[in-house]
This record gives sequence, structure tokens and C-alpha cells, in this order.
Amino acid sequence: MTELLETTFRSLYISGTATLLAGSWSIPLAYMLSSRPGLRPVSHVFESLVGVPTVLIGLLLYLLLSRQGPLGFLNLLYTPQAIIIGEAILVTPLLVGISYRVLSYSVNTYGELALSLGATERQAMGIAVSQALPGLIGALVMGFSRAIGELGVALLVGGNIKGYTRTITTTIALEVSQGELFDAVQLGVVLVSIMVVTSLTLRLVRGVSE
Amino acid sequence: MIQLNNVWFRYGSEWVLRGVSLGISRGVTVILGPNGAGKTTLLKVMGLLLKPLRGEVILEGVNPWSVGGLLEARRKVVYVHEKPILVRGSVLDNIMLGLRIRGVGGMEASTIAMRIARMLGLDGVVESNARSLSAGQAQLVSIARAIAVKPRAILLDEPFAHLDRDKRILVSKILESLAFNQGTSIAIATHDTLLAAKIADKAYYMEDGTVSIMDKDSLYELV
Repeated sequence: MTELLETTFRSLYISGTATLLAGSWSIPLAYMLSSRPGLRPVSHVFESLVGVPTVLIGLLLYLLLSRQGPLGFLNLLYTPQAIIIGEAILVTPLLVGISYRVLSYSVNTYGELALSLGATERQAMGIAVSQALPGLIGALVMGFSRAIGELGVALLVGGNIKGYTRTITTTIALEVSQGELFDAVQLGVVLVSIMVVTSLTLRLVRGVSE
Repeated sequence: MIQLNNVWFRYGSEWVLRGVSLGISRGVTVILGPNGAGKTTLLKVMGLLLKPLRGEVILEGVNPWSVGGLLEARRKVVYVHEKPILVRGSVLDNIMLGLRIRGVGGMEASTIAMRIARMLGLDGVVESNARSLSAGQAQLVSIARAIAVKPRAILLDEPFAHLDRDKRILVSKILESLAFNQGTSIAIATHDTLLAAKIADKAYYMEDGTVSIMDKDSLYELV
């Protein structure tokens, strides 16, 4: 039971940190794309990358972080930090894609409203972003769900080390390979519960903000 | 107040304004025309929200796109959207928005907003969630928000679209009063030719991105 809780909290920490990290660059990038119509094709590139297989990102990151790789000197392979970086890269296209749509509407609508009422560009940006907040929180929650449910990155660059880099999904994979199907199902229930709770939280946040 | 000289504007490859020249001054100017004629784009260009690709917009003798002072110029003109845009918060928050943007303190902004709300019959809903309003009430809030900042010109895009008869009369009376008592220049894009004929000091007809001036007789012929 202790191990289950430990694994669950580790997964929450890794995926939560990865989502916030990805948000820290994805949302400003999405704002930049939404406020410059000429950059619209860039948003299409990000949207097309949403479905990139997690195992491919895991493999590329493995090649970068392995001892012989260009970033091998950082000694990040098989650490929680490596999983955080990988998951942050994984959810970036999703966050940019959703945030771009939310912010495009907000900039065109509320940004223009603010300018028409005499706002400075900075004030207009503040109003557009504040009105887009529920949508941006929604994007972060979806990014978190994608991160916590992925396996490829966590397995390849985390190494599934007990008590250190083992997450819910890598544990499920391990339990299945060992024939411990009941334990795997238990963990699956925990994973789905986390996703349901985050989804309900999203609805609550939207309800409150409206 | 606002003069457009040979203004051209396009979205993508489609020209929406083709060499438009017109002027609005103190009083009520009405712009009539079918859907897709370019009325909204014209108002947004007049409101300094869209920069013309060719031609010039002169506001009180100055072209803010070329000589600077865009923010100061924008604060003299308010554009009211056809579909009311309300931010999260109460009706009062929405009416105060322009005032708060311009740095007016909370108490003063609230007092001004309450006065305008009473004028438009919104005093009963000032504490309500703005997004729970009917389309007509939302329209009134966006008009109130524009009036509250006391601009030199108000550009209204289909302001009567969602209003019932009584509210149309009320709003048109308020706009006429602003034009004559405060010297505000009012420009209205509308399909309501009857109301336009009643309140217009000057009228333009817009079609395929071009405008032509109308005299009172031809305005009444449209009614």
C-alpha cells in the first residue's frame, strides 16, 4: 500500500511539474502566435505534432541523454528529471494547440474590446489573457492527463527504477509482464480516478469562473 | 471629427473597403447598406482598430497612424460591437471597464457607471452576472460602457438589433441627446431605415466596399 501511494505521488509530482514546465513556454508562445496572424502556420505545425508517439519522444530523448549522447554530461538519464523533460516536450504541442485556439478568440474579441475602450497594448493583453484563463486552465488539465497516462517516455528515460523513477504506468507495464494482472488493474483504477478528478476539477474551475 | 480619405482595406485577397472617403462630425451619421457591404470594417477603421492598407484616417486634423499618438486618439473614439462582448463579472464591472482602463478610481467609476445604468434602465441588474443577461440587456450594457467614458465619437454597429421598440426609442433619444448636448459625434451602422431616417443628420449608403452620401429624401424612399 505504501509503495502504491509512493508511486502515485511520484507520478503526480512528475506529471504536474512537466505540465507546469510546458505551460511556462507553451502559453506565452501561443499568445505570440495568436496575436500575429502571419505566424498562424506555426500553430498548425504544433497541432500536427499532438499525436507524436510517446515512445518516439522517449527514444530521441534517450539518445540525447545517454552517456554517448550530446547531453550525456548532464547525467539525467534514468532520473525523474529526465521524465519531467520528456513529458514536458510531449505535452507542449497539445498545450500550444489548445492555448492558441483559446487565446486567438480572446485576443480577437476581448483584446479588441479593450483597445476600443482606450486600453494600452499591455492592458489589452492582460484583459485578453484574464478572459482566457478558464480555457488555459483546461489546456493545462488536458496536458496533465496526457502526461500522467503516457508510458513511452517514463519507461525509456526513467528506467522504471523502484522507489526512484517508477510511475503508475511503468508499474502497470511491469505487473502485466510478471503476470500480476490484479495489481495492474488496481493501478489502472488509480490512474483513471486521477484523470476523472482532474476533469471534474476543470469543470468546477470553469463553473466558478463563469 | 473623423475624416476618411480614399481608404482601402482587405482581408486576405478580398477588398472590403475600396477607396472610401467620408466624414463624420457632431451629430448623428447613419451608414446603411446590405450585409457584407463593409460597414463593420468601415467602423473599425474609423475607430482606429484596423489600419487602412491605403488612404488615411484623420482624427481632429491628425493622422494618428502616421504621426503617432494612437492611444490618445483611440481614447477619443469608442467602437461598440454588433454582438455585445461582456467580460466576466457583474453588469457594473462591465460598465466600469473603460473607466478602469483609463485609470478612473473604483468609487468614481462606480458612481459614473451607476448613473449611466439608471439612464438606460439597467439599475435593477447592475449586480447581476453580466453573462446571464438577455441579448437586449447585453446590448444596452455595451452601449452604457461606451457612453461612460465620454468619448468624442461613438461608433455603433447595429445598436438596435436586439432591442425592443421602447429600448430603441430610449437609446436613440440618448444618442441624439449626446450629439446635441455634449457635441459627441455618433456614427451608426444599421439596417433600421425607419429609425435611421428619424435620427440621421447625415446618411451614407454602403455597397461592395464603396460609400455614397444620401440626402433625406432618398433615405425616406428606403423606408
